[in-house]
Amino acid sequence: MNQPHLDTRPPPADPSAPARLARSPSSRHRSPSSRHRPTVPRGIRIAVLLAPAMLVVAVFFLTGITQAVGQSLGYQPFLPHWRLSLDAYQDLLTDPAVRASLLLTARVAIIPTVLSALLGVSAALLIRRLGRSRNAVSGIVQANLAVPHLVGALCMLLLLSQGGLLSRVSYAVGATDIPAAFPAATGDRFGWAIIAAYVWKETPFLTVIALAALGRGVEDLENAARSLGARPWQRLLHVTLPLIAPAVTGGAVLVFAFTAGSYEVPYLLGRPFPATLPVVALQYYNATDLTTRPTAMAVAVLITVLSGMMVAAYLFIAGRLSRRSL
Amino acid sequence: MTGAAITLAGVRKSFGDTPAVRDLTTDIPAGSFTALLGPSGCGKSTTLAMIAGLLHPDTGDIRFDGRSQLGVPAEHRPAGLVFQKPLLFPHLNVEQNVAFGLRMRRLDRSQTRERVAAILDRVQLTALARRRVGELSGGQEQRVALARALVLEPRALLLDEPFSQLDATLRAEMRRLVKDLHTESGVTTVFVTHDQTEAVEVADTIALLLDGHLAGQGDPEMFYAAPPSLAAARFFGVTNELPGTVRDGQFTAAATGLRRPTTLPDGPAVLVIRPETISLTSPSGDDDTMVGVAVAARFAGTHLAVDVQLTGGFLVTVYTPVTTSVRLGAPLAIDLPQAAGVVLAADRSLVSG
Amino acid sequence: MTAKPPTTTTRRVTAQGAPIEATTGPGARWVLPVRMGRRLLVGLLLVAALLPLVPLLVWSLAGQWRYPALLPQQLSLRGMQLLVDPRSDTLRGLGTSAGIAAAVAVLACLIGFPAGRAIGLYRFRGRRVVQFLLLAPVIVPGLAVTLGIQVFFVRYHLSDTVVGVILVQLMPTVPYAAVILGAAFANLDIDYERQARSLGAGPLRVQLFVTVPLLRQAIAVAALMTFLISWSEYVLTLLVGGGQVKTLPLLLFAAIGSSDTTAAAALAMLVIVPPLLLVLAAARLLSGRSAGAVGFGRL
Repeated sequence: MNQPHLDTRPPPADPSAPARLARSPSSRHRSPSSRHRPTVPRGIRIAVLLAPAMLVVAVFFLTGITQAVGQSLGYQPFLPHWRLSLDAYQDLLTDPAVRASLLLTARVAIIPTVLSALLGVSAALLIRRLGRSRNAVSGIVQANLAVPHLVGALCMLLLLSQGGLLSRVSYAVGATDIPAAFPAATGDRFGWAIIAAYVWKETPFLTVIALAALGRGVEDLENAARSLGARPWQRLLHVTLPLIAPAVTGGAVLVFAFTAGSYEVPYLLGRPFPATLPVVALQYYNATDLTTRPTAMAVAVLITVLSGMMVAAYLFIAGRLSRRSL
Repeated sequence: MTGAAITLAGVRKSFGDTPAVRDLTTDIPAGSFTALLGPSGCGKSTTLAMIAGLLHPDTGDIRFDGRSQLGVPAEHRPAGLVFQKPLLFPHLNVEQNVAFGLRMRRLDRSQTRERVAAILDRVQLTALARRRVGELSGGQEQRVALARALVLEPRALLLDEPFSQLDATLRAEMRRLVKDLHTESGVTTVFVTHDQTEAVEVADTIALLLDGHLAGQGDPEMFYAAPPSLAAARFFGVTNELPGTVRDGQFTAAATGLRRPTTLPDGPAVLVIRPETISLTSPSGDDDTMVGVAVAARFAGTHLAVDVQLTGGFLVTVYTPVTTSVRLGAPLAIDLPQAAGVVLAADRSLVSG
Repeated sequence: MTAKPPTTTTRRVTAQGAPIEATTGPGARWVLPVRMGRRLLVGLLLVAALLPLVPLLVWSLAGQWRYPALLPQQLSLRGMQLLVDPRSDTLRGLGTSAGIAAAVAVLACLIGFPAGRAIGLYRFRGRRVVQFLLLAPVIVPGLAVTLGIQVFFVRYHLSDTVVGVILVQLMPTVPYAAVILGAAFANLDIDYERQARSLGAGPLRVQLFVTVPLLRQAIAVAALMTFLISWSEYVLTLLVGGGQVKTLPLLLFAAIGSSDTTAAAALAMLVIVPPLLLVLAAARLLSGRSAGAVGFGRL
C-alpha cells in the first residue's frame, strides 16, 4: 500500500525498465552539495514544504471537524454559558426525519455509485475500441464533466419533472394527458431525479477514470494473455477488469462520498421530507431557533463519520488491491 | 530435421504506406532453435507478431505443421510468446502468473498445480512462487515469463528480444537457460534479436532479415564462412572489403590486383575478408600476401586490431594476438590464405547508400 | 509524462513499437456486426450524455413554452438579455465568480506546489498521515466541515466577505492541487534539477526555470481543476458568504427557485460555458490523467 489517494502514482512503472536510482530514498534525498550554503536538514526541509498545505488542512478541515463535534456536544465558542450534553444525539436517534433521511441518503448514494461504476467501465471499454471517433466521443464525455452539479440538477428538473420534456413527449405520444399523470420523478419520495442526476454526472467521471487506467500498458498485458490462450471474455475477466479495479474502486468511493454529502442536487430535486442528511443538517442549522444548532452539528458529525468510514474502506480496499498488484 | 514446424509463404505486411515485411518466405525447421536476426526496423518483431497471431499479414500464408493459421486468433495458436518486457500480470503472484494459461484452458486444479510446480522448479523459481511480481528482479521476471509460456507446452516458443533489457552477465545466463530448455524439450524456438553474437551463440539456424527481406538462412557458421550477400557479410561484422570485378570466373581486386576464382557472373564484385582470418607476416613477395604499412593498432581485449595501409591505397584491418608487437610505420605483409575471403556481388544499393 | 495515446487509428502499439491490431483478425464474418453494435452503443452513449442539456438550451432561448408543447411557442433572446442587464446581479456575479476562482486557483497551486514536492519526491515518516490528511478533505463533504468553523468566520469578520469565501474554498482545492502536483513530482526525473544546479542555478532559480517548466502540464491541470472546483462551489460560498458574496452558482440557485425558467436556464448556460471552453481547450492535458480526473468529482 503506497498511496491512499487515487492513482497519483506513475503508471505501474514499466517493470522491465531499469530501477530508477532516483527512487531509492537514499540517493534521491541527498541534496546537491554546495560550498556556501549549509544544507538544511531533510526533515526540516520537508516540514517547510508541507507547512502551508498542512496549515490549510489544519485550520479549516481539522478545526471544522473538532468544532462540529464540540458544538454537537453543546460547546459554544465565544459564548459564556454552555454545557456538555448528548442531547443532540439523543434527538437524532428519536427524530423520524433523521431515520428516513438515512435511508434516502443511502439510496441516492449507493444506486448511482453502482450504476455509474458499471456504466462508466462499459463506456470506457467501448470508447477505447473506437477508431477515428475516439477523441470526439471521449471529448464529449469529458465536457459533460465540466457541467457543475447545480446545472445538472436544473437539467434533470427540466427533463424529468411533470412539466418537463419527457412528460411532454409522453403527452405527444398519447401516453398521458395531464402533467400530474406523468410519474413524479422530481420531489418524489424515492429520489428518482436525484439518482438520475447523479448517474448522469458520475458516469462520465468514472469513464474518464477507467479510460486513464486502461491507458497504461493494459493492452500489452492483454496481448500477453492472448498469447497464453485467453479468449476475449477471459481476457476481460482475468486481466482487464482486475487491472482497472483499483482505480475504479477509488473513483467509486469518491462518488459515494460526494453523492452522500452533496447539498444542491437533493435540495433541488428532492422534497423537504424525507431529505438527505446534508439537507437535514442545513435545515436544522438555518432554523430560527438556535437550540437546534447542536442537532445540526450532530448531523454534520454523522455525515463526517459515514464518509470517514468510506475513506477507511477505500484505504483498506486500495491496500488490499495494491498489495496484490504490487 | 523433421520438416518445417512454421512456414511463412509470401508474407507481406505494411503499416500505412510503410512496408515492414516484404514478401517473406521461409521454413522454420521443427525442433530447431532459429534466430530471426536483423537490425532494428527490419521487420523481425512484426514477423514474430504475425506468427503469434497478434498481427495479420496483408498477403501470404503462415502455416504451423502445414496447417494455415490465417484467421486463427492468437489465443488459439499453439505458440507461446515471450515479449521484450516481461508483461507479468501485476495483480497475480508468480505462481498465478505461470498458471494463467492453464487456467484459461480450464485444466483441473491438481494438474495445474503439478505442472506449475514442475516448470517453476525447472527455472529455479520455486522459492519465489508466492512472491508478488513487483518484487522480482529483471532476470527473475523474464524467467517467470518464460515459465508462463513453456508450461503450456507450446508447439513453438517465440521469443521477442526477451533479454535485451538485462545486463550482460544476466543476459548470458538467460541465454544458457533458454538453450538448455530447448535441448531438453526440443520445442521449436524462434528467437528475435538484433545482436549477431547473441544469435550465433544460441541458435542452430539463423534467418537474417534485412529491410523486410530474408537475406539468408542457414547455420551460424555459414554466415561467417560463406555469407550469402555483401549486406549479410557486413551485418556480421566484416570490416575489410576489396572492390574489384569478375570476368570469366576470375575476380581481380582493383587496388592490389589480387585474384580469386569465383562462380559469380561477370560484373562488379567485392572480396570480403574477416579480420580474424588473416595474419601479419614479414614481406616476402609471396603470392598470398599483401604488402603495406601499419598505421594504427588498437587494443581490443582479446586481440589487437591493426590497420594496415596497403600499397594500393586500401586500408585493411587485421586481428592479431595481443602479444604481437607492431611498429607503426614499418613495412609488413598480410598473410592471406586462399580460404580467407569470399567474393560477393557488389550490392549497388548498399554501395551507394 | 504521458505518452500520447494513439489518436486516429485503432492500432495499438506493442512493447516493441509494432502496432497490434485490435480486432481478432480477418474473421470478416464478425467485423461488420461488431462494428455496427459498437456504433449503436456509441450513439446511445452520446444521446445519454447530451439529452439532458437539450431542454436547458431550449429553455434559455424560449420566450414562452407552455405544457404540453414539444417546442417553445416562441423564441426570444430575453434570457440572454437578462444576463447582460446592468440592473441584474449577473454581470457582477460573473466578475465575483471569476475573481474568486482565479484567486483560489493561484493560491491552491502556490500552496500545493511545495506540498506536492514533499509527497512526490520524499519518502519520510508520517508520509501516510500526510496523504491521509490530503485525501480526507477531498472525500469528507465540505458542508459538514464548514458548519463547524462558520462561527470562527463570523468571529473574525470573515463571513460575508470575498476573502472569507476564498479562504474556505482553499479547503477542497489545496489538497487536490497537492495530490496532482505530488503525482507529477513522483514522475519527475530529479536529475534535471541536479543538472541545473551543476550549471550554476540556485535552488529558487532551479524551481523557476527548470522544475516549473518541466511540470507545466500538471500545473496547468491543477490550476484548471481548482478554478473549476471554485467556479462550481455552492455550499461553502453560501455558508461563509452568507448570501452577500453572490457568485454565479448562488444566483443560479436563487433563479431555479424563482418561477422564471428562462432566466434560470440562461444563467445556467452562462455558468457552464467557461468550464466547457476550458476543458475542451485542455482536453489533451486531461486525458489519461486520472489524478486530474479526480477533481471532476467535486464540481
